[in-house]
Amino acid sequence: MAGARDTGARRARFAPYGLLSPGVLWLVLFFLVPVLTLARASLSDRPNRFLPSELDFSWNFSNFGDALSQYSEQFIRSFVYAGIATALCIAIGYPLAYVIAFRGGRYKNLLLGLVVIPFFTTYLIRTIAWKTILGDEGEVVSVLRSLGILGATQGLLATPGAVIGGLTYNFLPFMVLPIYVSLEKIDRNLVAAAQDLYSTPARAFWKVVLPLSLPGVFAGSLLTFIPASGDFINAQFLGSPKTAMIGNVVQNQFLVQLDYPTAAALSITLMVIITFFVLLYAKFLGTEELTG
Amino acid sequence: MTARRARRASQGRGSGLSRRQFLTRGGAAIGGVALGSAVLGSTSAFASIGGQSGGETGGKLSVLNWPLYIDKKSKGLFEDETGVDLKYSESLNDNNEFFAKYQRQFSQDEYPGFDIAVPTSWMAKRLIDLGYVQKLPLDAIPNAANLAPGFQGAPWDPTGEYTLPWQTGMTGIAYNLDVTGRELTSFSDLYDKKFKNKVGMLLEMRDTVGLACQAEGIDTATVTYKQAQPALDRLQKAVDAGQVRRFTGNDYQDDLVDGNFAACVGWSGDVAQLLIDNDALRFVIPEEGGMRWADTMVWVSTAKRQAQVAAWMDYFYDQANAARVAAYVQYISPVDGIADDLTAIDPALSSSPLIFPPEDVQARLKVFNQELSKKDEEKFDARFAEITGS
Repeated sequence: MAGARDTGARRARFAPYGLLSPGVLWLVLFFLVPVLTLARASLSDRPNRFLPSELDFSWNFSNFGDALSQYSEQFIRSFVYAGIATALCIAIGYPLAYVIAFRGGRYKNLLLGLVVIPFFTTYLIRTIAWKTILGDEGEVVSVLRSLGILGATQGLLATPGAVIGGLTYNFLPFMVLPIYVSLEKIDRNLVAAAQDLYSTPARAFWKVVLPLSLPGVFAGSLLTFIPASGDFINAQFLGSPKTAMIGNVVQNQFLVQLDYPTAAALSITLMVIITFFVLLYAKFLGTEELTG
Repeated sequence: MTARRARRASQGRGSGLSRRQFLTRGGAAIGGVALGSAVLGSTSAFASIGGQSGGETGGKLSVLNWPLYIDKKSKGLFEDETGVDLKYSESLNDNNEFFAKYQRQFSQDEYPGFDIAVPTSWMAKRLIDLGYVQKLPLDAIPNAANLAPGFQGAPWDPTGEYTLPWQTGMTGIAYNLDVTGRELTSFSDLYDKKFKNKVGMLLEMRDTVGLACQAEGIDTATVTYKQAQPALDRLQKAVDAGQVRRFTGNDYQDDLVDGNFAACVGWSGDVAQLLIDNDALRFVIPEEGGMRWADTMVWVSTAKRQAQVAAWMDYFYDQANAARVAAYVQYISPVDGIADDLTAIDPALSSSPLIFPPEDVQARLKVFNQELSKKDEEKFDARFAEITGS
């Protein structure tokens, strides 16, 4: 009897670990192992260029120094572009999510659907479509030229603006949806209470709605900033050689130069910098203080 | 070279693929290779059973080629005539990507899912040097005798035992007269400040750097990294000044037609095809010199199917068959004596300067150093990556 109780207790004690194990296994197999492999590659030498996977592990930290000094420009550019795109996504996405959540009424689902529907088309096609829309001889440019906004020889494509615009467009739903969810959860009585206490609508928004929706903004920013920093499609199709981002460099190092150590060092550096930014951001806009 | 044959159409107007269709098909083709390899891997025993004569070869064959580099009809006719079950994939889009993708399988003696691939000559040479491809069954390819004299003893394969060219072509300058407002004759025209942010160049290093070198009077056939410095510096300066809008693969065609490019580095066959729809387009071999290249068929070391490989190569080195493909792709056929067959298909083709370049143009064509040292190649690639911004 005692033994049976023991096994029961033991089973109960180990149950959480049992339930966790698929997730842990997944993380180990598909996150930890690849990251360690990448880290190992980033510290290796490459004896033969045409046999890229045969690397000599040698604690070669100079890979990082070389990669950083040679590509600092692309790193900075990536974070600046991704940062601006994230800010633009908030500026466009927040009002959109607000209107859908608070004024959408019975059209809420329809409106949300409209936000998402363009993204049923693949990423690549959507980006290439912008190339056609913004082409130098296209309608948009010719209208802007006739209005004098663009000079006769100026265009929109192959500029930083086009790349940032592409990033903003492509990541907008990842901002709208989390913000919408956090706005949707807000108890409307809180807004009513604020107004009962003589808050103006603007003040009620500022003091009640905005703080309660910040977790959504935080989540949306992560979902936008992280992939945008590593993106290479927008820079490739909408940009010029002078707007190349770090993703373009990594792609080139892996697939053209076959320089796995440099590519790995760049990837690791990108991960570390992003983590740093995320922690910094979390400190200022972290969820603890909002929920606490 | 990087997907230079996008959007080719055999019968002119309206049948050209849009870039979007092209991409979709590319995706389908990649799927095709994967599936093909799984199915074919187990049936390679067919190779030794198949006979030699037409219609009885039978068995299976898997070919990896560039997009839109063969007409539809030829594939069916080949199957009918030889009885070979053909898996044909168009997912070869870029030499470097091709190498990066299959290098591991090649180096570990795994069958990559195709028997014949068609890399550009410099990549073919690399594959030969690494032992990733094997000698062709030339005894079973009598039509190989039709190889044009200019390609015999080619520097990438001096004994001619490993490669047979599929198509060859020229790299020059393509331009849109509506945008340039004047005819171009020289590579230096691409440095004209009037075309700031309106110039395209190819990601294929040997094409862009080759033309740039010739513009500086550097002989590309023997060029070393050191000798190329003036050309590379000038390219870098042009990029820094915002002269170059993009470095592209095959998609330069869209930018050229849409007027985003005034002028760009381009491939002869592409422009021949685009001309059908747009008479403002021009293709010129710069007066300083243009590049000549060849995409070559190689037989993967781990592949069997000798009879089928021989049947394929023999079939397309037959003049009538080669002419049919040339009429479709509009590149320069490596098969000698196809002029009559081309005339029979379309009289205009046999006088096309892009398929039969005149003597003075031919005299200006150079190849890119086929004996470039490994070290120099690495330096070229790294520097060129820097120039392209990545």
